[in-house]
Amino acid sequence: MTARIIMKLRVENACMTTADVVHLRLVHPLRPELPEWTAGAHVDLRVPDGKIRQYSLCGDPDDRSSYEIAVKLEPGGRGGSRWVHENLGMGAVAHVSAPRTNLPLASGAENTILVAGGIGITPLLPMARTRRGQGKDFALHYCANSAADAPLLDEVREICGSRLRCWFSREGSRFHPGVVSIDRPDTHVYVCGPERLLYTVQHGLPMLPDDRFHGETFTATLDENFKAEPFEATIASTGQHLLVPADRSLLDVLRESGFSMSSSCELGVCGSCECGYRNGIVIHRDKSLPVSKRQDRLLPCVSRARVSVTLDL
Amino acid sequence: MNFHSAGKAPPRMVEAFDHPAGSIAVAKEGGAVGWQGRLLHIHIAPSASYEMEELAEAECVAGRGIIGDRYFYGTGTYSPKPDVREVTLIEQEALDSLARNDPPLQDGPIALAPGDHRRNLTVIGVPLNHLVGRRFRVGEVILRGGRLNFPCKYLEEILGKAVFLPLYNRSGLNCGIERGGTIRPGDTIEMLTS
Repeated sequence: MTARIIMKLRVENACMTTADVVHLRLVHPLRPELPEWTAGAHVDLRVPDGKIRQYSLCGDPDDRSSYEIAVKLEPGGRGGSRWVHENLGMGAVAHVSAPRTNLPLASGAENTILVAGGIGITPLLPMARTRRGQGKDFALHYCANSAADAPLLDEVREICGSRLRCWFSREGSRFHPGVVSIDRPDTHVYVCGPERLLYTVQHGLPMLPDDRFHGETFTATLDENFKAEPFEATIASTGQHLLVPADRSLLDVLRESGFSMSSSCELGVCGSCECGYRNGIVIHRDKSLPVSKRQDRLLPCVSRARVSVTLDL
Repeated sequence: MNFHSAGKAPPRMVEAFDHPAGSIAVAKEGGAVGWQGRLLHIHIAPSASYEMEELAEAECVAGRGIIGDRYFYGTGTYSPKPDVREVTLIEQEALDSLARNDPPLQDGPIALAPGDHRRNLTVIGVPLNHLVGRRFRVGEVILRGGRLNFPCKYLEEILGKAVFLPLYNRSGLNCGIERGGTIRPGDTIEMLTS
């Protein structure tokens, strides 16, 4: 993983764009220009105790004077969004990394289809802005419960104009992949939203080659019914036994026991916390490790074990 | 509020003249004499990867580091091996040579601002490569040269600039603090022979 500089940015503006999404504008207190970025980039936001949350930049890539992020309050989440909502008001200081792009716009694409679900609009809005600036074809499908639940809707309307199609389920309108035409060979499709939206789009467009489908979701695991069980982790080098309770991650327990583990997304996506294991049945719940590595490597942020596992630490 | 990773022990510092490099150098005669330099800038970072922050004055603590810096708190990037990192220095002359693409081992001029190179003190007129195993003062503070600093790939990543080779052998000096105190830009830097 590439190291990135972390800056202390000032919240210049904070406003609610929906009832549960705060839209923040961040500026550097000394430098007039922030590190450059392109559509699809995210920043790491530090929350207390060294933890990190990743948020897509949703502003204008050509405006280097500020970064914009939108954060949805997730009452059942890990606490990062609540901390943002409670602490990052105007004038507050946010610890933010330089941006990185995990979901870049394909350079050769002349036609771009964007499908956003709710807060998933954040990386797609700069993509629409970029495509508009390039004078290239694009369409944005924006799915939400209602207009009042659609973050940044005014900006989305302004940027997309007639290329926007809203799908508000409470108004009886639901997105279906049949409305997307991928006949042109230079069409790329970008989806950001809940896992089921990615699934719907990808499976609804069976003729779309994998290299023209680009998706980003917020959670690593599809199985919402997964019930975590406690297990025991043994440290190979010392023989130390650690109990991982059902409601805590292996990564958390390792950290608490003094192991200095690097991590970033803590969602099983980025792969930063990868570590080796032996002797145990591991329940892999990440989206990062290739099958070939799963015999002896795991991501302790989301993956667990049945009964016990020995870690190469 | 603590934004930095918990559970990391402070770095183990080795006394500058006990370091493998410093211990050999201190027993040998040498070191440039007859010079006098000046402190230009003081920078600290609260934790690894954080932007450096410029200070108008800094408190140096013997055996520890600069108050507020990542190596003082143990929140920096470092290997578990004991090392000399209480204060790091770099020459303005080295930065100037990078800026004029000299020697031309790089793609072109590299502008490295005092806040970018991640050393604590930017100095001018101080022959840092000659100060391993030597004592010198910065204002009222006495430093001991422990080892030559070495450029790292981490710096390249964080800057997004290929500085590893250009900084080779002019990456500065890692020092221990023999006598603490307050330092300010403009302070005189000179060799101590007694």
